Amino acid sequence: MLAEFQQAFADLVASPELCIQARRDPTFLLGVYELTEVEAERLQAIVNHPGMKCNCMLYRANRLAPLAMNLPNLVKALGDDLRGMLDDFWKVYKNTDVHFYVESYRFCEFVEREIASGRIFGAEVVPALSKDMEMLGERLEVSHTEIYSPYAERPRG
Amino acid sequence: MKDQRPNADQLTVGLLNNPAVPGIIAAAPDLVQHVAVMPDRLWYDFGADARGGRFHKTHLTIESVREHGRTRRLIGHGIGLSLPSAIPLDEEMLTEIAALNDQFSFDWYSEHLSMFLVPHGSVPNAQAGLGLPVVYDEETLGIIRTKLRRMREMLGCRLLLETPSIFTPIPNMEMTEPEFLNRLWMEEGCATLVDMHNIYVSWRNGGLHPRDYLEQINPDAVIEIHMAGGDELAGFYTDSHSRVTPPEVWDYVNDIVPRFRNLRGITFEFQETYFPKLGLSGIIAELERLHELAARARPSVEPQTVC
Repeated sequence: MLAEFQQAFADLVASPELCIQARRDPTFLLGVYELTEVEAERLQAIVNHPGMKCNCMLYRANRLAPLAMNLPNLVKALGDDLRGMLDDFWKVYKNTDVHFYVESYRFCEFVEREIASGRIFGAEVVPALSKDMEMLGERLEVSHTEIYSPYAERPRG
Repeated sequence: MKDQRPNADQLTVGLLNNPAVPGIIAAAPDLVQHVAVMPDRLWYDFGADARGGRFHKTHLTIESVREHGRTRRLIGHGIGLSLPSAIPLDEEMLTEIAALNDQFSFDWYSEHLSMFLVPHGSVPNAQAGLGLPVVYDEETLGIIRTKLRRMREMLGCRLLLETPSIFTPIPNMEMTEPEFLNRLWMEEGCATLVDMHNIYVSWRNGGLHPRDYLEQINPDAVIEIHMAGGDELAGFYTDSHSRVTPPEVWDYVNDIVPRFRNLRGITFEFQETYFPKLGLSGIIAELERLHELAARARPSVEPQTVC
């Protein structure tokens, strides 16, 4: 069914590992998604198309962009750990939140939880996280307080 | 700049709105006759259960758009409704778009022929991360058709769908992309926004040659053209909106534009973070070329068979 095809396509773009599994085993996607034969064939062709690499790169670049823009200190402080953190974050949060401040804040909370669970980072990560979360919290608050809905003022009916 | 908005039948040249646009308008007011506005950039979407409601407006940007609209045509250009996604139409977002349309009186409203929202998203308004290709078949046509009718009820203005850029073509489809767009035009009156750079991007990544693509498009369906430039990325070519329009795209568009007799708008798109690289003089030079392109077009006095 189309919704499953679309979901599978989006999941593949978000996960190079899923792409590898699908390439190795042409029946793999049929076991995970409710696909017609034609849809499964289409996905198999897509996952083996050279352009899939570009889809995956753009997905990652587009998801990194809000974090790089809004969390400059944390991204720098994570250094070599950034890549692994992003992989783990994107496994848990498969979809981008359309509000970049919310997206960035959930990454901060994710890092906080990882630290609380014992994951070891460089000493500069905690102060960088605090600094960026404070800045981001202010921006989030401002974006909250700008509410204005002219449509709500229109007469109903 | 005249003190009135262009009339509905005039062919205008303009820019996709971004924070750099007011400065460009101040420097070259006569070159920017319309501003294409993305509603999604006029609010923060916190999701359905958010404190104080879902959509929180960006007042300063809205005021800036209102100012543009005093003397310029305003066009709505959305990304958030993701019409091809196999999910119900986002009625809350459509209501907000209708509210903006009440304020701004868009001359037309366009969306993208790409899937941006995933069906089983874990967050409200869950994004796929990039615009993914669409299956061109009767099922997708039916999904889009139903949503277009609802949009027309709510917005009341002409609707357009934009040609996408793709990196992975979907094989064995019932229709080509131009055939699909032509069906939407003939059966639903939904016009086509020909993004020349997107067509070029798709070709550079293995799709139809732009001349073949443009040959298949119903020329009467084309109301707006987008122009832009992109970047090489690991052997691919992307629609990054980082540069002026490539020379090859100018060749294609110069040849085809006289056939688009219903053409009403030519828009240059650039991403504001690239503004320092493009420079004010670079943007102005591009706008001047767009005006030369507009002079090559031969729009009919009366729009032909538009919805």
